[in-house]
Amino acid sequence: MASSNFNFINPFTFLNVQDSPGTYVGDFYTDNFEKGARAGNVILNLGPQHPSTHGVLRVLVELFGEYVLRSEPVLGYLHRMQEKMGEVKTPYQYLPNMGRVDYLNPIAWNWAFAGAVERLAGLEVPEKAEWLRVVSAELNRISSHLLWWGAFVMDLGGVTPILYAFEEREKINDILQIVTGSRLTYNYFRFGGVGQDADGRFVDLIKDFVPYMRERLKMYKALVTENIIFRRRLEGIGPMGEDICRRYGATGPIMRAAGVMCDTRRLYPYGIYDRFDYDIPTGPTDDCMGRYLVRLEEIKESLRILEQAVRDIPGGPHIVAKAPKPAYKLPAGESYFTVEGARGQVACHIISDGGKTPYRIKLRAPGFSNLSLFAEAAKGTLLADAIAILGSLDLVIPEVDR
Amino acid sequence: MELSLLYFVKILVAVLAIIALMVGNAIVMVYVERKAAGFIQRRPGPYEVGPWGTLQAIVDSMKLLAKQIFVPANADYILFFLAPILAFFPVLLLFLPIPFGPYLTSWETPDGIILILAFAGFGVLSNLLGGWASNNKYGVLGAARAVSQSIAYEIPLILALLAVIYQAGTLNLSEIVEAQGSWPWQWNLVCQPLAFFIYLVSLVAETNRAPFDLPEAESELTAGFHTEYSGMGFALFFLAEYANMLLVSFVCATFFLGGYKGPILDGFWWTFIKAYLVMFFIVWIRWTFPRVRFDQLLNINWKWLLPLSLLNLWVTAIVIKVIG
Amino acid sequence: MRAIWDNIKGLYSLLVGMKITIVFLFSPRKTVHYPRKVVERENVENYRGPLELTRGKKDPAKTPCISCQLCVKACPGNCITVVKGKEGKAPSLWTYDFSYCCLCGACVETCPTGALAFSHRVYMVAKSREELLLDLLADLDDRVKKSPQLEAKTDAKSDAKSEAKTDSKADAKAGAPAKKDGEEPSPA
Repeated sequence: MASSNFNFINPFTFLNVQDSPGTYVGDFYTDNFEKGARAGNVILNLGPQHPSTHGVLRVLVELFGEYVLRSEPVLGYLHRMQEKMGEVKTPYQYLPNMGRVDYLNPIAWNWAFAGAVERLAGLEVPEKAEWLRVVSAELNRISSHLLWWGAFVMDLGGVTPILYAFEEREKINDILQIVTGSRLTYNYFRFGGVGQDADGRFVDLIKDFVPYMRERLKMYKALVTENIIFRRRLEGIGPMGEDICRRYGATGPIMRAAGVMCDTRRLYPYGIYDRFDYDIPTGPTDDCMGRYLVRLEEIKESLRILEQAVRDIPGGPHIVAKAPKPAYKLPAGESYFTVEGARGQVACHIISDGGKTPYRIKLRAPGFSNLSLFAEAAKGTLLADAIAILGSLDLVIPEVDR
Repeated sequence: MELSLLYFVKILVAVLAIIALMVGNAIVMVYVERKAAGFIQRRPGPYEVGPWGTLQAIVDSMKLLAKQIFVPANADYILFFLAPILAFFPVLLLFLPIPFGPYLTSWETPDGIILILAFAGFGVLSNLLGGWASNNKYGVLGAARAVSQSIAYEIPLILALLAVIYQAGTLNLSEIVEAQGSWPWQWNLVCQPLAFFIYLVSLVAETNRAPFDLPEAESELTAGFHTEYSGMGFALFFLAEYANMLLVSFVCATFFLGGYKGPILDGFWWTFIKAYLVMFFIVWIRWTFPRVRFDQLLNINWKWLLPLSLLNLWVTAIVIKVIG
Repeated sequence: MRAIWDNIKGLYSLLVGMKITIVFLFSPRKTVHYPRKVVERENVENYRGPLELTRGKKDPAKTPCISCQLCVKACPGNCITVVKGKEGKAPSLWTYDFSYCCLCGACVETCPTGALAFSHRVYMVAKSREELLLDLLADLDDRVKKSPQLEAKTDAKSDAKSEAKTDSKADAKAGAPAKKDGEEPSPA
């Protein structure tokens, strides 16, 4: 706080980027982005440390007053070389990484990788393991949606609901901890089954949880969904129609809110999902409100699946008798396996040359495709709306950057 | 009133008492707000420092005192430091005409409410300067929001108060209290419900509290106009926010809730109870609602509150003319 | 007219929200206030904390580890170091760097003698990185000193569980495991 800072600045120097070349030194992205800015417009860096970018996403926006003229997401602040790590570890050793790719929905990633390996190796999964997979995946989907719900309302300025969401999330964590042993980055699936069998308490807690969660959803509806401020903030904001979704490869709730029945559980059936009776909710509108409602409906559908699942529990082992050991070598070949995560289509592509480690692993992160819609959807909206659109995409930055 | 020495001593004592009230209020309100937020969110809130965490606010203020004051590069040094001071000190003046009790008014002036409304404008000036001087884009955006919001909401606020002033026929706050009765149905709240509602909405907007906390909208502008403030600069803004809340609550109690009058035993305790109920209302809605968008904020004002308050004023004038 | 009606309904929705929060304001807290209360025992028992060596079936004071190095090879984070002792197969050094561990369970699953298990130390605290380099043999000795005789157990797994119970007891400074506040379904 040196007093040498004492000077009266020309207030327009930092607002007018064109008129003061050389005074402002940005990085590669800023420099490129600034070239297109009209004189008088403000270039604003939302992030990487900003309360509503949920992690380390950085969004460059060009503002005219409060209006967003252009925006450009900048990625890579949380790049951890997950795909490269798959090439230096054996498949078994790589499995715990799947819990870290998307820390809010690790079960789906577990399933994508385990499924791809099983498809390549031709492993059969026992019925009990499939049951456990479905139950844990649906629980995880609910917990992921709950955290999104709280964070989204927090983006819009309502601080309280996220703590209500955490109450339910803690209950789900308690349930999943019984079988997975951890509360966040689950490493549950094994090739040919799951890591641990469920006990009676697991089933009892789910039986308690389903009606409890339904009651809480009514409270959510009264507190948030029907709140006039909330509705006015979301209705008609950030429409993402089928066309733009298809162009950018958006999946999951964003695509479903556009009215397209796009759910991997139905389109490319896997596991024992065909045994359960559930609907794929598609949105009434393709705006932020539609995406919000679709996710809340999905919680209800997941509860329906859980309810049916605890009624009929198959017996048998939870993992195949000769499950692969850590030094397991994949046979040469390629396989691709896709599952429905909370944010969209999660997929894993493995190419193996029969060596100790796979030749290449490609992880398809739904958040990456979903984020690419942002620049187009946020064009011409207010800054507050842009934040709402960013929140409605349900981004998890570790998953986007991998 | 004659300008005697006694008079100056009285004002001096009153100013000191008001400073004590403002600081004490901030400490109490920080604790109450955090505790209420915790209870609403089903967690205990501050708990560790002192019994039930009661000393938390004091310890926090110690921390703010000890913190380094950071000045961003190229900030306007004078304005940067002037802004928090400007936020805090004018509020002192505004408490002078408030009648806390039947004989407890710092400065009995016939134009009390004019003084309050005139000096209340300083608050937004400090927000503007703070945002502008800190050489931060979020700060400028927050400052711009603060100005347009304050200008917009002052109009229905004044018009709502004006209806009560028409009714009482005076600008003196003590006389406005005297015009009301002791029982709740004799308060202006009953005969001016619309004005009360408009005032309630406007006071939340005027003090920049959620759901109208646009100038410091956390999820959009990180912290708005006080993004770059730390240590005492931030503490003064904070103090001023709570002092402003207290002020509008006192005005609300005086104008609509019968001031120091109560069913039993008139006195300053009634003013404080009523004012703190209004404060609790502000805290309560802050932890309940999401934030409105900026254009909606202005729409609420210009399309709803302003016509409604004009209508209210018009009806009041006609009724007074017909009856009186 | 439509807009006016919508706004009146909107105001009502705000009142509904305010009612919900005021009810929560006066309902009991949901959080567990940690140093004074701890979570229920059954919630800790299936938690996977840092590794620990199990106690042998024949000699409860010794580890069944045979220093075969399978866990060292299986570990994705290379956090295990096992050095074979001079006499017999028993290890002379068994260290484990918890800061690199991802708790995947590869070591536990590959161990041919069932010498490894996850502990349930929920409340473990370390103030530096060095403290996270755990010496599991010393840890085993500590536990042996605490309870020299093993209770009648059949296999290594339940063995580990009983250890965990004593451990979590020691960790929970509040002594008796207090019950979690407000575990009952909320009235919402």
